[in-house]
Amino acid sequence: MGAVGEPATDSAGVRQRLRRFLGLDDDGVSTPLVLLSGAIAAAVLSPLVWLLLRASEVPTDEALSLIGSSGDVFANSLALVAVVTTASVLLGVPLAVLTVQTDLPFRRFWTVVIALPLVIPSYVGAFAYISAFGPDGALADALAPFGVQIPEVYGLGGTALVLTLFVYPYVFLTTRAALLSFDETQLEAARTLNVGYLSAFRRVILPQILPAVTAGGLLVALYALSDFGTPSIMQYDVFTRMIYVELNSFGDGRNNATLLSLQLLTVTAVVVALESRIGSGEDSGYGAASSSTAMISLGRLRWPAMLLPVLVSTFTLALPVGILAMWFVRAEALAYEVGGRAFEWGFALNSVYVAALAAAATLTLAIPVAYYSGRSRARFAWLAERATYLGYAMPGVVLALALVFFSSNQLAEWFGPGVARAVYQSLPLLVFAYVVRFLPQAVGASRSSVLGVDPALLGAARVLGEPPRRVFRRVTLPLIAPGVFAGAALVFLTTMKELDTTLILHPTGFTTLVTYIWRVQEGGYYGRAALPALVLVVVSGLSMIPLLVQGRDK
Amino acid sequence: MTEEPTSKRRRRLLASIASAGLVGIAGCGGSGTETEGPGGDGTDTPAGGNETIGDPEFSEFRGSGALAEGREEISGTRIRDLPNLEGELTIYLGGGEGGLYRDLINKLEEIYPDFEATPRASGTADAANTLIGEGSATPADVFWSVDAGSLAAVAAEDLTTELSSDVTDPVPDEFHPNSEWVGTAGRARAIPYNTEALDESEVPDDVMALPDSGIAGDMGWAPTYGAFQAFITAMRLTEGEDATRQWLQGMVDAGVTEYANEFFVSNAVADGELQAGFANHYYPLRVQAARPNAPIDLAFTSGDAGALINVAGAAVLSASPQQELAANFVRHLLSAEVQEYFATRAYAYPMIPGVPPVGGLPRIDELNPPEFDLAELSNIGPTVDLMREVGVL
Repeated sequence: MGAVGEPATDSAGVRQRLRRFLGLDDDGVSTPLVLLSGAIAAAVLSPLVWLLLRASEVPTDEALSLIGSSGDVFANSLALVAVVTTASVLLGVPLAVLTVQTDLPFRRFWTVVIALPLVIPSYVGAFAYISAFGPDGALADALAPFGVQIPEVYGLGGTALVLTLFVYPYVFLTTRAALLSFDETQLEAARTLNVGYLSAFRRVILPQILPAVTAGGLLVALYALSDFGTPSIMQYDVFTRMIYVELNSFGDGRNNATLLSLQLLTVTAVVVALESRIGSGEDSGYGAASSSTAMISLGRLRWPAMLLPVLVSTFTLALPVGILAMWFVRAEALAYEVGGRAFEWGFALNSVYVAALAAAATLTLAIPVAYYSGRSRARFAWLAERATYLGYAMPGVVLALALVFFSSNQLAEWFGPGVARAVYQSLPLLVFAYVVRFLPQAVGASRSSVLGVDPALLGAARVLGEPPRRVFRRVTLPLIAPGVFAGAALVFLTTMKELDTTLILHPTGFTTLVTYIWRVQEGGYYGRAALPALVLVVVSGLSMIPLLVQGRDK
Repeated sequence: MTEEPTSKRRRRLLASIASAGLVGIAGCGGSGTETEGPGGDGTDTPAGGNETIGDPEFSEFRGSGALAEGREEISGTRIRDLPNLEGELTIYLGGGEGGLYRDLINKLEEIYPDFEATPRASGTADAANTLIGEGSATPADVFWSVDAGSLAAVAAEDLTTELSSDVTDPVPDEFHPNSEWVGTAGRARAIPYNTEALDESEVPDDVMALPDSGIAGDMGWAPTYGAFQAFITAMRLTEGEDATRQWLQGMVDAGVTEYANEFFVSNAVADGELQAGFANHYYPLRVQAARPNAPIDLAFTSGDAGALINVAGAAVLSASPQQELAANFVRHLLSAEVQEYFATRAYAYPMIPGVPPVGGLPRIDELNPPEFDLAELSNIGPTVDLMREVGVL
């Protein structure tokens, strides 16, 4: 009898362990949610298979020497990541507090302006800085008569500066979302206890927004790790520059590049795993709907406080666009014909269209993963959420080449050329590529909001007889809305400027603002990029308004 | 300036109607005589019809500006001598000279109402890697790239068709090392120098002598730029690894300055920030065109890697069902009109002897490029290793 009973208990034990691994007993977690999250994670990891295939073609001794030779770039990459992440937090958090919790004049305007630098492509931003601050640059020339010497822009300093200026909005937007969901009565309570704002910030606010700050910081760190343009323009030797060089050498280069990409992904995996130790653990919840009533009166400092956003946007928006405009004026003087580069407004429409699609798709897929991993402490929930980050650190070109192989060559082999033709270079494929690259932005922002929701609230709703689905829709969703919208804004902005993947996978004839900018820059007509870059900034800014306003009018 | 969407759509519509009719024709013709296509001119082109359709003026193709004025007599196969372009082509562009290639494609579409070409542009290496990834499932008919190395890389994967002699004959052998692809426009490695800082005689005639020439410390280069790496590859293959390593080390020790690309190098030369630099010949020409008074001129070394002439070129992809049309398109790229277009708008070296380069440049046969198989330029792996070893990359 025991012989029959034992396997039964065994399989019950296995089932028990599996349930625990999947977190099925956690509140709000259901089997469909687990399956869906797992499937999403698997889908965004699928391009990795191509990397493994290609990298396995590199002979072992060559692989070892390649990895061995990457020691310096490894150290360089880590230094860059550390500096950029720290600086972005120091810039993004105060700006978020300023625009959410104080009575800063024109707060909505500044909110959009402060988030906007995210749309400046690094190759535009870095070029602008080189031509402004570089040797014989515009500013260097202008300041030389006054004896002002401009510090060297190349190397770690310049690269970190430029990257920080264009990626701090990750921290700004995620922090802002958390601050919007912050229950202001807690701050009032602290005040009645005679605790000053700074002290209250440290003791009450910071612990609650920390998951959001770290989520933003992680996005910054991974961006810094995987950015191609800035380090190569600013001449700082990092992983991506090595990958770029390999990709441009034919033959073995492509395989070497995938090997280096895998190495980059390994570093990413370590960073992502480490971050989860800082990020989680703070489960203190909030139950207030988002609010935007100013909590701190700046008093006499109200107008001077505007200096900070003014200063930041001068360096992030005015300077790059101004430099491009200068190039534009110079280009007008060109003695030869510049045709075929006529700008069409349709390019802007295409950009907005595909970015909106990407934001919607990413959001839809991010919510289950964010909700699952926010609600459950199970191992699998952790894995599914963390897995989404790997695609983000995969260099765009490498991801694009992986999808080229799967959606044309491999698909034609499996299902015939007709299927491949329908999928390859189609809009859905491009949107899928964006999802792979940008899912963690939405997951990170949404998950920190999910973490913030007080489980007791959900329990109360359940006690009142609401079924789980309605609890999610009526209680959870409104509470996490600011985070979800922040995630959508992030995806929208980064899609607007994404170049590498777009260039390789766009539907034929589908020109976007960035592919147009690439086209004119590739020919060396930098000035011709001024107008589309300006349009990129303005159109993104306008598109952001509904996203950012929605978060605050609750 | 702006194209009206309606007329464009109409053109597309017309073209697709036309092509719907053509699919059948291509299907019939393609079965037997694939590479014979261009040979069958006479049967393809009813006399008369061709004259009215494809006989453009040179002025339609020639650029404007000082560098394009006072052109000498031009000869070569005229567009009117070629079969009509009819049907649809998908063309992968590697690079594309900032839109010049697209302009040209538009011009050909204007000349031939029944021709529609869809270009897709990306970087040369991206385009080649994409084609290799697609394999036989590629939607592309033609690969037209500004870099011979990318063409050779695609050809090395057996993805290209052998071009008939009708296509390749007008071009000197060195610009189509085999018949897998053919050069369409050339660019020479050159040494732009500041005419206020240096006299032409102070620029060595021998690129290997540069590190010890005394000007190396005031020179600039762009080592991440593909054309520069091609130049170092040529040096590695002609002078050997050790000499190349010493050369690179010598330049670094002398204090050469690094730039992001060769347009910046050329501008820095014109600004006097550098005395001289390494660049493709057309970058200094562009600076001249934009700033006619800038003190910049070009020097060429002789018979060595520094005088390498790399080419943009085109290949027909073997997976294309439109072999004949694709090959005919490539022939059009080598017509006198289109060669004049490259010469006067991109400041490129024409690939056919009947069309001279612009701006008082030495003719292509007056330059003294190294004896060199351009297909070897795709082998930049060891070059990158070398450059990395010396710390240039």
